[in-house]
Amino acid sequence: MTVRASDYPPPWSPGDAIQPPSDPVDERIEVGFLIVGAGPAGLAAAIRLGQLAEDHPETAERLGDVPVAVLEKGKAPGSHLLSGAVVNPRGLQRLFAGRKRMDELPFYGAVGAESVLFLTKRKALRIPTPPTMVNDRNYIASLSQLGRFLAEEAESAGATILPETSAEQLLVDGGRVLGVRTGDRGRGRDGEQLGNFEPGSDITARVTILAEGTQGHLTGAALDHFGLRSDNPQVWALGVKEVWKVAKPLDRVIHTMGWPLRPGRRFREFGGSFIYPMGEDMVTVGMVVGLDYTDTELSVHDLLQELKTHPRIRKILEGGERVQWGAKTIPEGGFVALPKRFHAPGLLLSGDGVGLVNVPALKGIHYAIESGRLAAEAAWKTLERGASARTALASYDEALRESFIWRDLREVRNMRQAFGRGFYVGGALAGAMTATKGKFPPGNARTERDAEHKLLSTDRAKSYPVPDGKLTFDKLSSVFASGNRTRDDQPNHIRIQTKVPRELAEMWAHMCPAQVYEVGEADGDGTVQVKLAPSNCVQCGAITAKGGRLTPPEGGSGPEYTLT
Amino acid sequence: MAKVLVFLEHHEGAIAKGSLGVLSKAATLGAEVAGVVIGSEVRGIAASAGDYGAATVWVADDGRLTAPLPQPRVDVLASLVRDEGYDTVLFAQSVLAADVAAGLAARLDAGLNWGLVDLTADGTGKSPALSDTVYVDVGWTSAVKLAIFRSGAFDATSSGGTAEVKDAPVSLEDFSTLAEMVEQAHAEQHGPSIEDADVIVAGGRGLGEPEKFALAEELAQALGGAVAATRAVVDAGWYPYSAQVGQTGKTVSPKLYVALGISGAIQHKVGMQSSNVIVAINKDPNAPIFEFADLGVVGDLHEIVPKLTELVRARRS
Repeated sequence: MTVRASDYPPPWSPGDAIQPPSDPVDERIEVGFLIVGAGPAGLAAAIRLGQLAEDHPETAERLGDVPVAVLEKGKAPGSHLLSGAVVNPRGLQRLFAGRKRMDELPFYGAVGAESVLFLTKRKALRIPTPPTMVNDRNYIASLSQLGRFLAEEAESAGATILPETSAEQLLVDGGRVLGVRTGDRGRGRDGEQLGNFEPGSDITARVTILAEGTQGHLTGAALDHFGLRSDNPQVWALGVKEVWKVAKPLDRVIHTMGWPLRPGRRFREFGGSFIYPMGEDMVTVGMVVGLDYTDTELSVHDLLQELKTHPRIRKILEGGERVQWGAKTIPEGGFVALPKRFHAPGLLLSGDGVGLVNVPALKGIHYAIESGRLAAEAAWKTLERGASARTALASYDEALRESFIWRDLREVRNMRQAFGRGFYVGGALAGAMTATKGKFPPGNARTERDAEHKLLSTDRAKSYPVPDGKLTFDKLSSVFASGNRTRDDQPNHIRIQTKVPRELAEMWAHMCPAQVYEVGEADGDGTVQVKLAPSNCVQCGAITAKGGRLTPPEGGSGPEYTLT
Repeated sequence: MAKVLVFLEHHEGAIAKGSLGVLSKAATLGAEVAGVVIGSEVRGIAASAGDYGAATVWVADDGRLTAPLPQPRVDVLASLVRDEGYDTVLFAQSVLAADVAAGLAARLDAGLNWGLVDLTADGTGKSPALSDTVYVDVGWTSAVKLAIFRSGAFDATSSGGTAEVKDAPVSLEDFSTLAEMVEQAHAEQHGPSIEDADVIVAGGRGLGEPEKFALAEELAQALGGAVAATRAVVDAGWYPYSAQVGQTGKTVSPKLYVALGISGAIQHKVGMQSSNVIVAINKDPNAPIFEFADLGVVGDLHEIVPKLTELVRARRS
């Protein structure tokens, strides 16, 4: 039987996330500009708005008591931020031009030496660094730490950050976005109100900037509602990483390709690993795999564990100790999957939410920051005398198209898709694309939804190492290392069909790095029950790519990353 | 010398064991230690605190203090601190204690450290951090120091002393009497609660099915203990959330913790690792629980537990 995740769509529709305001007008919380998500895009927007307010105090006065509010679903800014990360400083340099030098930011230094390795089970072959991957003049960072820094900057620039607050619905009335409704808190498993119940609130604003990051809950709903989606569906990769305290410093940035991924075309295993030094005594190691993979037993978490058993990588971690773990999806559709427009009435869309990621360069943080900055400038234009809100917000699209983001992404627009043809063909085509700056092959290669690929099973899990609790770890202890201590008795926030073919249930169980899904009893008709442990969820978003739908749990839930 | 006041919570005519534990601890700090009992018709139980190290026991006995509401209790504690010069107020963890301590902290502009597991004579508290993987020393910068201790942090030790029982003034603020208790609901419970029990028998997924919790219940009854559960079985609806031990449930430290069919995931471990003696019965010899159990039995709990229960009963009768 052929099983595709897309044949079992989740019980969810975008309309669930789009509603008119429900609080009476005098009970709504009114802010000037509302930003959803305290990540690099949202905080860059908040910082830029603060700079503009400082430069134009009379205009700023019209914004009211709370000129800029930032909603963050995590426990604190940075709690849900995870990346490699080697950061291209371009976005930050433009954001802080004349105000801050790069050496005042919380980086682990500039990238020194770098190696790209092609791995086999026992060997590591150094290959020339592909031109897109050269990291000269880039900086190593923990995005979680950088996020905390940006949050402090945003607050001192006058923004109000509201952590532990999820944005559950986009408030739309008369075709215009008015703001968002925040999620309820203190509901029990069946939605009943517990002793500490607090209802959500309608927060309204002149302009709402969605900067929700990968798999944005409201961004996805808004793209559908306003008909902004590209003809090419967005696709994602899943990254799982660990931060280690190590005995000896690592002297270079390392990327690997090849093992433990398989090159065969039918497996569609596109990805690789990264190993970055974080100062003298820490190292981060992560594995990223495209979610278009087909094997039901593929588990990125377990591939990362397997990767660490490679002699070359084991050597780096020897005598060390794992201190943190986390997972997150990365939008990989690139240029061809970008929305048709990045604005709607009252709304601007930025960052990873709309897929501003350069896969061949393994970068997106600088695009998030630049898009947030540009969104802030467009939002500010709505305040200018005689400005029409429509023209002001439309200027965001123009600014994006003229920015370095657009040029970069256009050049590499077909590279990710080429790897759907297997590692070797993909590698050769990517070389040609780089050499011609994207002119060859002409046109746009299409993307296909991750959930649409036929599933297959090859006993892949047999090669995963048995966790030893020192070098290799199981999923549950890893969830612990993410700092996740989500309240268990809250409503399930994951939408999936729970009676599905065994292949699909097994795919979800292996896919999820946080052990949320479990294959339950067989129903006798070839299907099985899927059991859920939603409080394990680290909100990576893989389920949304692979046939389900992640919605935001109660604010403050999920991981509490500090070093990722 | 420090003057320490311990909030003595009481249920059904007896001072809670947790409060007496904190009182016993306070008595070892070389400070002048008093307890305070607040409620109505509670005079009778006050003197018993002398046996646990209180030199003085204040009694606030008033019909308006019948309901376990926090604000009137804050009024009583605040005036004792102001008039009698107490510089430290200690609480044993409970829902009421958390409310009262928070209210008192706001009223007195005092610092509150909560979830402590120890306190030294020089006024340094010990607080577990990073999901109980390390202990950090905590202190206070405020003149009055408030602390809530984790349940089971200290044993209640009888010292044979006696206390002078004094009346505490009850003068309530207007806003303190605005709240009224409409209803008080009690979860039905047999035997001690898991926070108070000296013995806990905990069941995990290895029990196989919800009905098999009867095995844990019978053993707990034979040992005079309480029944706890892991998150996995609470999630599956086998046992109520109030019995959940672990990172997202309760933290317990009984004298004996018997783990039946529990693998010992770290999320469970952090809720019970400070138990004095941990006994694990599990058929999987590789289960992580055997790494930190004091006594591990690899075998089928469905065979072992009924026999164990029988033996305990025989020995006890």
